[in-house]
Amino acid sequence: MRVHQFHPVLAPGDAMSNHVFALRKRIRHWGFESFAYAVETKPGVADVRTYRRMFRDVRPDDLVIVHFSMGSEVIDQILKIPARRVLVYHNITPPEFFGGINPHAAAFARLGLRQLARIAPAFELAIGVSEFNRRALEEAGYTRTARVPILIDWDHFAVPPSEVVLARWKGLRTVLLFVGRISPNKRQDDLVRMLAYYRRCIDPEAHLVLVGAYRDQPQYHARVVALIERLGLGGAVAFAGGVDDPALLAYYRAASCFVSLSEHEGFGVPLLEAMRFRLPVVAYDAAAVGETVDSAAVLLRERDLAEAAETCAMVTERSDLREQLVAAGERRVQDFDPEKVAQRTREVLGL
Amino acid sequence: MSSDRIDLDALMAEVRERIREKREKGIYSPDVDALLRVPLPGGRRIFSDDLQDPLASLAEALDEEVEYDPRSRKPIVGPLITYARKAVISLVRWWMGAILERQERINRLLAAAYDYEGQMAPRFGARLERLEREWKERREREVAANLHSVYFQARFGGDEPVIRKQSEAFVDLFAGRKRVLDLGSGRGIFLQLLKDKGIGGYGVDLDPRMVAQCREKGLEAHEVDALTHLRQIEAGSVDGLYARHLAEHIPPGELIEILRACRRALAPGAPLVFVTPNPATLTVGAHTFWLDPQHLRPIPPELFKFYLEVEGFTEVEIRTFEPTEKRLREDVPEGPIRDNVKLLNKTLFGDRDYAVIGCAPAK
Repeated sequence: MRVHQFHPVLAPGDAMSNHVFALRKRIRHWGFESFAYAVETKPGVADVRTYRRMFRDVRPDDLVIVHFSMGSEVIDQILKIPARRVLVYHNITPPEFFGGINPHAAAFARLGLRQLARIAPAFELAIGVSEFNRRALEEAGYTRTARVPILIDWDHFAVPPSEVVLARWKGLRTVLLFVGRISPNKRQDDLVRMLAYYRRCIDPEAHLVLVGAYRDQPQYHARVVALIERLGLGGAVAFAGGVDDPALLAYYRAASCFVSLSEHEGFGVPLLEAMRFRLPVVAYDAAAVGETVDSAAVLLRERDLAEAAETCAMVTERSDLREQLVAAGERRVQDFDPEKVAQRTREVLGL
Repeated sequence: MSSDRIDLDALMAEVRERIREKREKGIYSPDVDALLRVPLPGGRRIFSDDLQDPLASLAEALDEEVEYDPRSRKPIVGPLITYARKAVISLVRWWMGAILERQERINRLLAAAYDYEGQMAPRFGARLERLEREWKERREREVAANLHSVYFQARFGGDEPVIRKQSEAFVDLFAGRKRVLDLGSGRGIFLQLLKDKGIGGYGVDLDPRMVAQCREKGLEAHEVDALTHLRQIEAGSVDGLYARHLAEHIPPGELIEILRACRRALAPGAPLVFVTPNPATLTVGAHTFWLDPQHLRPIPPELFKFYLEVEGFTEVEIRTFEPTEKRLREDVPEGPIRDNVKLLNKTLFGDRDYAVIGCAPAK
């Protein structure tokens, strides 16, 4: 038996793709042949086969793991290949977030939600990476579901942090950090507004660093840039773009606080990464954020930007609170220990 | 805060207090507020923001025109794509028209269900407003908030020397303490007594004039209500608590909340004293208690003692004081009549106030 994984797009630095590769590494380690397939492979990713190879490679007793986070034109073809099939659901951003901003993304999200419900009968099991996702699967009509968290491969970060990034940011008093694609559901626009409060009412020297690719949402990115101009925050907000592991590690090391105002996350890997690298986390409680951080972050229940800013300030200033959060964060990361998650994945997949 | 769970409520209370202070000092000014509300330039709001004000956004959405430009700008194949799109549009225009018509119908029905101005049907708004006003009035009438308190204080308010004398009896309970909290500190009589004995203390009171009076005397006082303050301060941060004539002004449920908050705020073993009128004396329970329209309900000593015990305070005791001056003459010969007179004196003209005293449990 062999194990094949499919997702329409595989890209470097993307949490979903990292999950595919981490899982492949484990499955190979367990002694199975395992391959990853995609329609589109972005530069910087190696050892991925084109999805057309699946029609030759997959044998009836093989296991096909379909990762689902967006609509795809080829999914129906792939489901015609006889094999055992398991779906892993990473969630689809509700199309409403893209309305009036990115009609293309909205159309794909809508297509994805329709497909998700339609293809339910083709799978023997559907896995949600969070309870939030598992419930969404049930609502979409999946009968056999399970929750297995994302498998995080911490080995990636066994690199020295980027000196360039550290030199630029380390030692500044307030560096607020958010890591995630620039996208309307992640609400980088509210982070910018929050920074306006922060600089006026707390620390006039505060900076906001937004790590994450912005090519997928050029319209939203342009509008956030316009907002920064309008609020007079040019120079205080840095778009780092998609970065490599040493740079990401350096951002986690240099920042004073990780803050998320995202309104939709299927899991939220950067929340755990921040905890792993001893950064206190302040996050708005939406979608799967609450269950991912559990009690190891300051969860904001109200959507109030002044409160968010003051909370970040307290976490930054008060060393006792900070230490308490860092310790709780490190314990929380242990709950997602790759060994445990891998074991659970193996049980659920019946390997 | 315990070591492994962060007390989010306490943290957020502190955050809100910081924001309130910044608003008061003018740091968090209206123009900062305006910055927080600057819309995302260049087009429509993000949908979750629309959901914050759905009615206004609905009105906007109903007016929105959908535009589609079928022209393609691609080189060479562009005109062909444009032609194909136009052809498709002309083929499906009847179907599109039917969908549009249905949508238009839905829009009209929805718009009729709500007011066009982006307000919920006005009668709901008016009704809600009336209910809110009446509820507020009811609360105010219950405690005669419309009575001018200056006149009232002059007519029925306690005499300062009398209050001082009463309070003196309790100061020694706090000997050696560093931070005693006086809930409802009023003119600061008890705070002054503490200060005279070298005991650290501060007060909270809802009345800004009272707080100002305390500050003039060089006493520490804050304008905040008891429960909010108790929840804001750090656990175990006060080592004594005194509240004179507070309990009879609040509903029983709130009193219990206050006791719970006291237990959190008090250091282990710290004393707590509540003074309130003694309704076991009938002339108090049936008459003088009600001289203050802000008194909600009398609390029998046994009940107050029970509250403290249930909420985990230790060494709880009742101490009555302030005997009534008026008494029936007891100088009759020894016998049943004298016993009866004594009993009547106790029931009718007993002590007017009592204190319930307890200690926060030791860790």
